[in-house]
Amino acid sequence: MTGYYSLAPVWISDVVGSALMLIISFGAIYYAHRLRNAEPSSIIWMYLLVLSAALAGFSISRAVAHLAKHAMLMAGYPHMWEFFRPYTGAFNSIAFIVVASVTFFFPKVQKINSEILNDKRALEQATRDIKALNRDLEALVERRTRQLSVSERKYRGIFEGSMDTIFVLNQKFIFEDINPTGLSLLGYDSLEDFIGKISLADIFVSNSDHTQFLEDISRSGAIKDMECRIRNSSGAELVVLLSVTVTTKDLSRRTNYVGIAKDITVRRRMEKQLHQADRLASLGQTAAGVAHELNTPLGIILGYTQLLLRNCQESDALHSDLKIIEKQTNNCKRIVQDLLKFARNSETKKSDVDLIECFKEAISLFGHQFEKEGVIVETRFENNLPKVFADGEKLKQVLVNLLVNAKQAISGNGLIIVTMKLNPDRRAVIVSISDNGCGMSTDTVEKIFDPFFTTKPVGVGTGLGLSVSYGIIQAHGGALEVESEEGVGSTFHITLPLTDQNHQNIYPDNPQ
Amino acid sequence: MIRIITFLALYSYLTPEPVYALQSHGEPEGLFAHQIAHILFSVSMIFLAYWLKSNNFTRERGWRLIQISCILFFIWNLVAFCGHYVEVKLPSKLIEGTGSGWDQALLLSGSPYSLYYYFLKMDHLICVPALACLFLGLRNLYKKTLMKVAADK
Repeated sequence: MTGYYSLAPVWISDVVGSALMLIISFGAIYYAHRLRNAEPSSIIWMYLLVLSAALAGFSISRAVAHLAKHAMLMAGYPHMWEFFRPYTGAFNSIAFIVVASVTFFFPKVQKINSEILNDKRALEQATRDIKALNRDLEALVERRTRQLSVSERKYRGIFEGSMDTIFVLNQKFIFEDINPTGLSLLGYDSLEDFIGKISLADIFVSNSDHTQFLEDISRSGAIKDMECRIRNSSGAELVVLLSVTVTTKDLSRRTNYVGIAKDITVRRRMEKQLHQADRLASLGQTAAGVAHELNTPLGIILGYTQLLLRNCQESDALHSDLKIIEKQTNNCKRIVQDLLKFARNSETKKSDVDLIECFKEAISLFGHQFEKEGVIVETRFENNLPKVFADGEKLKQVLVNLLVNAKQAISGNGLIIVTMKLNPDRRAVIVSISDNGCGMSTDTVEKIFDPFFTTKPVGVGTGLGLSVSYGIIQAHGGALEVESEEGVGSTFHITLPLTDQNHQNIYPDNPQ
Repeated sequence: MIRIITFLALYSYLTPEPVYALQSHGEPEGLFAHQIAHILFSVSMIFLAYWLKSNNFTRERGWRLIQISCILFFIWNLVAFCGHYVEVKLPSKLIEGTGSGWDQALLLSGSPYSLYYYFLKMDHLICVPALACLFLGLRNLYKKTLMKVAADK
């Protein structure tokens, strides 16, 4: 390797290489640009575009300069190349520096960009999550609202539809809310008349109940099944079972009370009637036994007395004594007969009885006397009242007893109202005799049907009239009930059941 | 501190001396700047190749090609650096003939640098493949990006 070697290979590689660099660098710029357009937000493609552009700049500078150099030298203008050479060299240097600078800074920029993109993605994800949450929240709120509405309707239904009284009281025990049953029970037409105006103290009949209520509620915070009497707006007394609970908004403050009141007035009345019926039945059995035992010796006494009277002259002193014995014995026998009637042991002769006619016969006995003493008897009879299958004479006796009692309850002028009506539900005729007399106390009402019980002075009555009446009505399968208020008056209700035949006469199309 | 600064300012003002605000730049500075630029370029390429590897970009063929391009550019920079150095060291009398090189010849025995110069002048043999790898890498990345964008849509 001591001789000269041609530089033609160097020349060829320089010319061909420069041309290839030009072509390839533009190709690189083309794809870098397309990449940048495909994903404009990518910092990597931006970097590659800058890198490609810098390399393309270097390639142009170098390739063009080399090609121009060869052209100038071959054309014999070496001084021109000497003129351009520093420029191309300087440009190449700048291109290298640009490539190096961009490359050194790129990772840092890429890291920052990556963090920004990550933050952006996180922000977008958070936005999506918030939107989804918001959407879910709306759905959740809608679902909860629906559930609440269903629940509200359900509990409103229970509140409105309850057959017992449900109410809410405020701290001062004034009613804040009450269901329709309670409003009806207390005799009010609208909530406006009731809410915020009536307190629990207003409806208690007795102060002792009220005091007991306040003591219990303050001691235990709840009351369960407290039996008490209340008064409705028309003044009628009711018996209720009261249960009340304190409701609190927080741990310390009592805000209001929720309660339920169960009306047991009818049940208590029925129980009382049943108890009375049992008592009277027991008394009737005793009375019947005594009456039977007394009836025979009384018959013998009366028989022997009459035999002695037959053999005794009226002028004889003994005659008047025997007459007294006969009279008193007859009185005793009548009492015994009344006791038997009370005990339903007497004979009855039943037939279809027109109650209106029966009443007219009864009133005809002392109607004029009533008028004379200023007592008016008003009748309210329903049209087409059916006949009842009963013992007419005994019914007349009952009516007379009740009318006389009513008259005796009225001192001075007064009014007796006799009502007769059909009760289709009970398939019975109801006869009511009301007076505006002195009325009776509760204790008296409880004993009114007891044999020999009377409020009249001694000698005025035996105390068997109502007992006998009770026994007669019971013997007809009916009921004799009394309502009375002291100072206002009393009402006796006779319920006489209809036989199927009697009922069919009234309702031929619907005998049941 | 204010006193010291004031003193120095007064001293400088009262004792003026000649200053050389503009430094003259001789001919070698251009070559030095160019050589330093080559060094920076080569280092940046090695740095990029390493960064691509360490960030797992090279799992994709496109980035792998770009990494190869970086390595080739690094080698080319070394070659160019050496080429420039050898060119300076080589006496011009060893090249016979005038013109662009087609009809020139090099006396290889004239200098220990002659042989290096001969081969180092053919740096396009490295530079062109480096640029080609960059081109192929970008094309590959572009195709993959197009597929990805289409898949996203």
